[in-house]
Amino acid sequence: MINKIKKTGIRALLYFSMIIYSLSIIMPLFIMIMTSFKSNAEIFNNPLGLPASFKFDSYIRLFEKANYGQYFSNSVFVTIISLAIAITISAFASYALSKYQFKIQKFIYGYFIIGLIVPIKLGTIDIMKTMLSLNIYDTLASLIIVYIAMAIPLSVFILYDYIKMIPDELSSAARIDGCTEHGIFFKIIAPLVKPGLAAAGIISFIPNWNEFWFPLVLIKTRDFFTIPLATGQLFGQFDTKFDLVFAVLSLASIPVIIIYLLLAKQFVKGLSAGAVKG
Amino acid sequence: MKKIVLSFSLLLISLLAIGCSKGTDSNVTGNSGVSGDRVKIVVTSWRTEDIDRMDRINAEFTKKYPNIEIDFQPVKDTEYDAQLKQSLAAGVGADVIFLRSYDSGYQVYKTKSLMNLSEMLPTLKTFPSSALAAWATPEGVSYGIPSAGVVHGVYYRKSIFKKYNLDIPKTWDDFISVAETLQKNGETVFAQGTKDNWMLYEVMYAGLGANFYGGEVARQKLLRKEARMTDPNFVIALEKMKELQKYFPKGFQAVDYVTMQQMFGTGAAAMFMGGSWEIGIFEDLGGLDDVGYFAPPVAKAGDKLQYCFHVDAGIAANVNTQYPNEVKIYMEWLASPEYAQLYMNELPGFFSYTPGSYTLNNELAKQMQSYISDSVPTVRTVWEGLSAQDPSGNALVGEAIQLMYADTLTIPEAAEYIDDGLSWFYK
Amino acid sequence: MLIANKKHWKFLFIFIFPAFAVYTLFMLLPILNSMRYSLFSGDGLALNEFVGLDNYIKLFTEERYYSKFWNAFGNNIQFFIIVTLIQNILGFFMAVLLTRTFKGSRFMRKISFLPTTLSVLVVGFIFKLILQPYPGVFDSVLKAIGLGKFILPWLGDPNSALVIVAVAVSWQFFGESVMFYASGIDGIDDSIIEAAKIDGATIWHEIFYIILPSVLPIVSIVTILIFIGDFTQFDIIYAMTSTKGDPGYSTDIFGSLFYRTTFSSAERGGWGTGMGATVATMMFIVVAIGVAGFLAFFNRRKEALN
Repeated sequence: MINKIKKTGIRALLYFSMIIYSLSIIMPLFIMIMTSFKSNAEIFNNPLGLPASFKFDSYIRLFEKANYGQYFSNSVFVTIISLAIAITISAFASYALSKYQFKIQKFIYGYFIIGLIVPIKLGTIDIMKTMLSLNIYDTLASLIIVYIAMAIPLSVFILYDYIKMIPDELSSAARIDGCTEHGIFFKIIAPLVKPGLAAAGIISFIPNWNEFWFPLVLIKTRDFFTIPLATGQLFGQFDTKFDLVFAVLSLASIPVIIIYLLLAKQFVKGLSAGAVKG
Repeated sequence: MKKIVLSFSLLLISLLAIGCSKGTDSNVTGNSGVSGDRVKIVVTSWRTEDIDRMDRINAEFTKKYPNIEIDFQPVKDTEYDAQLKQSLAAGVGADVIFLRSYDSGYQVYKTKSLMNLSEMLPTLKTFPSSALAAWATPEGVSYGIPSAGVVHGVYYRKSIFKKYNLDIPKTWDDFISVAETLQKNGETVFAQGTKDNWMLYEVMYAGLGANFYGGEVARQKLLRKEARMTDPNFVIALEKMKELQKYFPKGFQAVDYVTMQQMFGTGAAAMFMGGSWEIGIFEDLGGLDDVGYFAPPVAKAGDKLQYCFHVDAGIAANVNTQYPNEVKIYMEWLASPEYAQLYMNELPGFFSYTPGSYTLNNELAKQMQSYISDSVPTVRTVWEGLSAQDPSGNALVGEAIQLMYADTLTIPEAAEYIDDGLSWFYK
Repeated sequence: MLIANKKHWKFLFIFIFPAFAVYTLFMLLPILNSMRYSLFSGDGLALNEFVGLDNYIKLFTEERYYSKFWNAFGNNIQFFIIVTLIQNILGFFMAVLLTRTFKGSRFMRKISFLPTTLSVLVVGFIFKLILQPYPGVFDSVLKAIGLGKFILPWLGDPNSALVIVAVAVSWQFFGESVMFYASGIDGIDDSIIEAAKIDGATIWHEIFYIILPSVLPIVSIVTILIFIGDFTQFDIIYAMTSTKGDPGYSTDIFGSLFYRTTFSSAERGGWGTGMGATVATMMFIVVAIGVAGFLAFFNRRKEALN
């Protein structure tokens, strides 16, 4: 009997803390989205509750006058291209490093891994200069290159293990059949390592999509703004108009939230694999 | 093997294509711009509040020159200077640039990224020389059209003043007793906060403090290094600022500039110490019928008003613009009385320096201007020269007053804080 | 694993080179180059003249420089400590709770990671707006639950601003640590815990003698990631308290100091590119020492546990 009371007590406590925790996560997001539908006057009179009516004026204004569609397509473009290239070249390197034994193989792997703890921000001054001399400062290409570089260490780190786990017998058999080394990669390794490629892509997606520092220093023309930079700039421009500001924030968040809710399992699997292994 | 090389080079080519496409694009339009195609000139400023109003002004220009479109792209004031500096250093950025006065703008000019306007715009010679000097080198080369000046003073809610039968205060003692009456009756006296410290310096210290530290004469002494911020007159001005603290709203430390505008603009407070540039903001927020204005109260009856008529905005042109011809046409228009009148209509509270006779259509702007004739004009205390390096006088005064209001520094310590920071100036 | 011979060289080179080159040219080399710039004077992006260690001497002997540098360093340490306490310690206990089986545990694990998917900038802006006294969203929540007297000028008070900013960052990345720890706890063999339970071990025994030792490697990763993230954090300061670290530099940390000194005009706190590079180099040194320190510390703990 006593045991049972104690247990229900603990249960109650557990649920209580879970409710607080989930409210602390959901409330700010809920307020953000609800406020974006209110009028400026309503925000001051009724900051917490539901909007009297859902008005989409601020969203319409963002797309029609503030060119939001452009920022969205810029972000999609930069993210997809940079992730695709980063993961492709990382897969090449990981294959060469994990399936062949040569003198400096360990050293090169370590060289890539250092990148996991190197803050690339500290090289910003030189990156700006390089982009200027390549004549791509203030273009999406400058962002793409930086994001490729940023995604390489983690991708190599993940793909190295995925490729290593593929049994050597498969490739030796192919080799006996006269398959070339790169042929082995494309015909045997690549199809088998698809989950690894997906994991690497998913993990780099969030930091890449949300990255604010490099657009801030590399992009000056509005036509090339990505969503985070547009968020920062529009927030400054509309700061007296709360409905618009919250609409800006909602627009920046909703796509990632949806993608996460759809792919939650993969996100968690990919990320925790990295953590446990390390 | 071939496949790999091919696929990799394809990736590289596509990357380069993105980069080049931008370059070629702009070259094409750059050349064809001369031949009569539509050209877009980008204008940047720190006045994010003015997007709609500037768009209306620029629409008038485009009506006249249909092949030139003006795109007004302001950046938030606190981040404006950093963004501007980066763009110009990289040789990109807006074609036409709003520039702050004196050293702030001069630093930009020294990076060789602004056009020489003395040659481009002969009409500049007719502008008042004191305004020209704010955007010119010591040798007199102009790099900015003196566009607008602003004044600092106090806004009030007519209805609240009427409710308690209050008169417009002329002296500081009147001012304090008005505040006292309002507070006793449970009104929010000032829509003032200390989170954005530039307000504390630019509007409060330079605007209301000038009557106490001795206005323009004292400022000139500072510039000549004959006076220091720890001198009694400058400290008294700090004390006067501190006197106002007890009339600030609850939680004033968290109230930032935007919130102040919201509070006063929606009628939630009786007074607001602000600048003339806020007329438009208050018009948008709740209308101007109930808004009145008076100049900074003087120390004692009979004193001459030291009126902070600050050289606020100049307009410069980027040397790296792709459309020098169109920029020239636009700049000529910006220096014309036509623009000046449009500008003052749309943005009441900005007073144009362009010679000409204008009608002010805004009552508040008229009132602000009415004080000028019987006053000694001055500009913000440590703006010129004393803000050439970090830590700049501009930043220091704001920080010191902010810390003074937070009770982190006493009044003499605040003065000391500014003076210490300025040691590079006295070196 | 195949032992590579001569005929493999070309293939290996072609496979490794692209990643190697991009990574070297746009990640490692820029950092080294930026360190080199710290030896030059200069304001714009063009470097002026070689000045040796002058910038470093200036940084540590001139009050206008060292006062800001040490201030940011101190703030950054406080910031890191608060974030670590919340994310690491509270996060660990939350993970222990979430790995129990109860109704809704899967849902909780799913949404706990939600804030991490947002951009830091967005999180900063949301918190800034919610904490503003007018309209006072958070303040009205406090009033509604009878805690009105605890209302502070949150981001306006130099004493509370840094804590609030640190809490905002922790709110965002809390779910990430929870997820890391939860996956570590999931990996513990059930039979070990069962055996301990039969021996009558309490929950505290379980936590300290079974769970903690087995997730220690994760603790070290999380700590190091937080450390690097916090000592280069910028977005949250930009969003919540401006690049000046308002009020009165009380939230100025390394990231904002680096941005401001490098990219701002002199009148707004800029020190010129050479000095900016000097700040970046000092940040790199601090991060390197910190990471090495944590690695050594956790390795020793691990050995002690074994």
